[in-house]
Amino acid sequence: MLRRNLLKLAGAATLTFGALPAMAQNAPAPFDNPGDVKIALVRYLSTGDFFQSYLSGVEQQAAALGVDLRVLDSRQDAALQADMVDQAIALGVDGIIIQHGLTESMKAAAQRAVDAGIKVVAFDVDVENDAIPQIEQSDYMLAKLALDQAIADHGDDFTAGYVYVPGIAPLDRRDVAWKEVKAANPGITEAAQFGTLDNPIANAVANQARSVLQANPTINVMIAPFDEFAKGVKIAVDEAGLSQDIDIYSADVSTADIAAMREPDSAWVATVATNPAVVGEVSVRALALMLAGEDPGHNVVVPPTLITQDFLNENDVKNMGELGSKMPQFQHADVATADWIALPAR
Amino acid sequence: MGNERFLNFAIKYGFLILLAGLVIFFSLSTNGFGSARSAVFILQSVAITGILALGVTCTLVVDGFDLSIGSVATSSLMLSAYAMVVLELSAGSAILLCLLMGAFVGLVNGLLIVKFKVPDLLATLGMMFLLIGLQRIPTQGNSVATGMALPDGSTAEGTFSPAFLWLGRHRMDFFLENLLPVPVVIFLLIAVGIWLFLGFTRQGRLMYAIGSNERAAELVGTPVNRYKIMAYMISGVMASIGGILLAARLGRGDIASGTNLLLDSVAAALIGFAVLGAARPNAFGTAVGALFVGILLQGLTMMNAPYYTQDFVKGAVLVIALVFTFYLSSRRSAGGK
Amino acid sequence: MNEIACKIRGLEKSFGQNHVLRGIDLDLAPGQVTVLMGANGAGKSTLVKVLCGYHRKDAGTLELGGHPYDPTDAADAISNGVVTVHQSIDDGVIPDLDVATNLTLDRLTAPGARLFVRDRQLRQAARKVAEGMGLTMDVRTRVGDLDVADRQMIAIARAMARAPRILVLDEPTSSLSAAEAERLFQLIDRLRAQGVAVLYISHRMSDIRRVADKIVCMRDGAISGIFADAPLDYEGAVSAMLGHAMTDVDIAPQAGTAPILEIEAMRLTADGPKLDFTARDGEVVAVTGLLGSGKTRLAEIIFGLADAPEGTMRIDGKPYAPRHAREAVARGVFMTPKDRRSNAVIPDFDINDNMTLPFLGAFSRLSFLSRRRQRQASDDMIGRIGVVCQGGTDSILTLSGGNQQKVIIGRWLIEPCRVLLLDEPFQGVDIGARRDIGHHIRETARGRATVVFVSEIDEALEIADRIVVLHEGAVAGEHVSGNIDLGLVVAQVSGQATGTAPGQPGTGVGTEGQQHG
Repeated sequence: MLRRNLLKLAGAATLTFGALPAMAQNAPAPFDNPGDVKIALVRYLSTGDFFQSYLSGVEQQAAALGVDLRVLDSRQDAALQADMVDQAIALGVDGIIIQHGLTESMKAAAQRAVDAGIKVVAFDVDVENDAIPQIEQSDYMLAKLALDQAIADHGDDFTAGYVYVPGIAPLDRRDVAWKEVKAANPGITEAAQFGTLDNPIANAVANQARSVLQANPTINVMIAPFDEFAKGVKIAVDEAGLSQDIDIYSADVSTADIAAMREPDSAWVATVATNPAVVGEVSVRALALMLAGEDPGHNVVVPPTLITQDFLNENDVKNMGELGSKMPQFQHADVATADWIALPAR
Repeated sequence: MGNERFLNFAIKYGFLILLAGLVIFFSLSTNGFGSARSAVFILQSVAITGILALGVTCTLVVDGFDLSIGSVATSSLMLSAYAMVVLELSAGSAILLCLLMGAFVGLVNGLLIVKFKVPDLLATLGMMFLLIGLQRIPTQGNSVATGMALPDGSTAEGTFSPAFLWLGRHRMDFFLENLLPVPVVIFLLIAVGIWLFLGFTRQGRLMYAIGSNERAAELVGTPVNRYKIMAYMISGVMASIGGILLAARLGRGDIASGTNLLLDSVAAALIGFAVLGAARPNAFGTAVGALFVGILLQGLTMMNAPYYTQDFVKGAVLVIALVFTFYLSSRRSAGGK
Repeated sequence: MNEIACKIRGLEKSFGQNHVLRGIDLDLAPGQVTVLMGANGAGKSTLVKVLCGYHRKDAGTLELGGHPYDPTDAADAISNGVVTVHQSIDDGVIPDLDVATNLTLDRLTAPGARLFVRDRQLRQAARKVAEGMGLTMDVRTRVGDLDVADRQMIAIARAMARAPRILVLDEPTSSLSAAEAERLFQLIDRLRAQGVAVLYISHRMSDIRRVADKIVCMRDGAISGIFADAPLDYEGAVSAMLGHAMTDVDIAPQAGTAPILEIEAMRLTADGPKLDFTARDGEVVAVTGLLGSGKTRLAEIIFGLADAPEGTMRIDGKPYAPRHAREAVARGVFMTPKDRRSNAVIPDFDINDNMTLPFLGAFSRLSFLSRRRQRQASDDMIGRIGVVCQGGTDSILTLSGGNQQKVIIGRWLIEPCRVLLLDEPFQGVDIGARRDIGHHIRETARGRATVVFVSEIDEALEIADRIVVLHEGAVAGEHVSGNIDLGLVVAQVSGQATGTAPGQPGTGVGTEGQQHG
């Protein structure tokens, strides 16, 4: 949905300023002639709001730079994704963004691309290659910020329910922050841990959360570091009539999440998010820097932003577009930038 | 002789006794399990899969199968959200639209199977994929929620109407205040309805006849094709009702494949074979089967068992139920001649 | 003859409260065909199933050639040399595989079989077996594409390939034509000469006269008579089986009143001859003929299951052209199809539901069935047609074949009809049940036209006022009961309308002498 907003704005900008990006003339090679630069986005995951939004960020930044973007989508087929890297090599692209995937299947393919003289960046997949910068949204920071907010609201003495499914990389990284916070604050007790990825996830988590609330009436904080989890917990809390007594802290955000957080008496008080579109933009910019011979650094981290229910209410934020305009640090990350790189029009 | 009687008793009541045993075990070992509210929670957690399972039971009765129910439910979820949020229709028209969609999908499934002779598993499998894709086309793969941006640049202003959300969230007073959620009431009504229909009406009896010996049913003048199509339409409508309740509970149109809904409801229907030693699809068994899975999951969650044990337990229950159904019943019927 | 291949002493078997075998003593001698006769429900099938390892005995002893024998399953029985050909043909063959594979399947499963199938060798071996049986089809034909009779021959041929010491044949001729049956009898003669002990179960007197060396009668789970002295006392055997002497069929022929079903200038096949046929109110017409004579096709056309290329039908003078069974039933044309297991019985249902299936509408109000009214109608019919059961809520599968058939016929007698079609109603039905059914059909015949399609002439004689003989889609002759020249009927059936034809394969005329040469 963000993507469409941006498309509309980009369309308007294009009409106003003409088709060519403003600073193309001053850009270093090969961006002095950006129409000849071909880049490919090779995706592993694509279904869902996050990935849609990420794609729109990539498309926006690519359009702002004026480069030719190819999107190859393997739809969770690890082998196909590796083949698609080879396909991109055969297409003669200058740069490749690898978006998610499995280390085992992508390592060799990424190396082949590097060997072919192609610049590669990887988002959220470790391809164990020094020549390939990692674009990351810091999952650790996401969870850490949310937990800091929980401690700010409730002090270091509360009973928590924790939603977690081990074995999912981003959730595992978020789990590290929770373990640290628990160790550092002996007053925080984890009364129950649950979680499931059965879809619809929110519905399945709601069923579980209700049992947990029934069995553990002392819980006053729910840590749900994934917005689908938070949605499910919120349903359960509402159904149990406990929305006044329990606060939910989560990670990630979407238009629907904003609506849920802003419901009257919503238990969902805070979430921490990185704008996936910004991550997409940063991925393209990092790749552009490499193509121009500059070094974006091996780890390009996109910092997350804390979004509280109070902020949303005070600024009457209704959707992702408004969140971006009311919260500039959410709309843009000052990462992997250069004078010659045009930012997407807003 | 005593052995025989024991075997018959085990086939008939074994599953219900196991169910009662579980309830007692969980009540003793966890706090808060044995209460009216907890019972209602269980009912609510199985209401949606239960409704889907009752639909699939109708197709099992005519010796068919419907793999598309999960995706019909999620399509209905998306469609209701789309109708209200984007098209800004009323709750009533959104519901009607979903029910029509379910009936239409059932009709197409039925026609594929009886007219075009596509085997039931393949026809409904195709329909499943088709719907998983189709439900994402209007929103380009995004979830539907108020405030979402539309392709023409505007934002969607419609909201889920309170009347619609009432379906998923309201609780009726029943002995205790705010006890019975609406989905549970709908589930129970549908369960009773399907039970009466399959067990006590002429149409239900003929559907069982078709499932048992299609040729014989045809030779006594039963319009076999019409009944088969009807079974798939019932299944489609039930799945769309499940989707409506899901949408009302979630308050948004989440994209989801519905695979888990499919698997859970099929499991419930198959477990139902074992209840009361019926050894064939039946509405009462399906409802008990759904409840059985719900009780296990609720109890395990309360005991802090991790999510993967839940799948394991579901699978184990299903296997035991199938053994009850097929092994013990075949031993019993070997007594006939 | 003093050596005994199989010795059975005090054999007992119960299912629940149902004491099916109550102490059976039986000896099977090598080189002898022992015919086992018994009404359905007498326990014949159970005895066979114990012998072939399908059921375990409860009490008693079994000995094979002096050694104790207690088969744990079918494979065990076969490895002991006890081979059974079951009544249900498709138990004996694998329809999706070709003839060659079917005939040599045991070699494929034998220990030490090669990993890869050598098709040519297999086909050669199969051809040898087939020739030994007098089978002429291409061994590469898929068995499912063969007709019933050929499939039956394949099933028997497979049993032969195992070189049995004891061969059990459970109603083997029930779906064979006369010529094919004769091939089977010749085979049995050969096996007898080789010293195989044959246990032969049949209802057909003609078969029994042809092959029996000894007749053993069963009734109510016990042996009720053994006849071993030549000449065999067939009358005695039948009365031992039924508990009373068989009286000759006596039919007071009804001429019938107004015509109900009229068929004019109908071709059964596109290039077949034209045929006229009329059935009148109150009469029972038997249509008989060989396999392929068009008798099944005629039944299907009248019931709306097949289309006639040409010709018209009328019922009570009004045009009648049903497109499917539903329309036929709506016009008052009812049919009990042949092959009740696949065409008529609802295995999951009890007797009540099976009985009332066609007319559920009459037993329901606002679609809701009245269990009580169903039960009343069904109990009433159980009593009238004489179904032997504990009650209407028994599963239909607990009944013997004859009793199942009574239920299936009874279902169409609950409501009055214009035309009642019975296609092979006596298939797998014992003589007792057959007489009950025939009696009841005749008794209720008034007010409708009844057409019975049978291949056995003695069955036709037993039930019909008028016999119509079909041959290759044409009416070869008509005979009114009470004045029938059996020789002529046989000739017409076999297509040699001028005079009797000695040496023609027998058609099982029960009251006439043997015709097999």
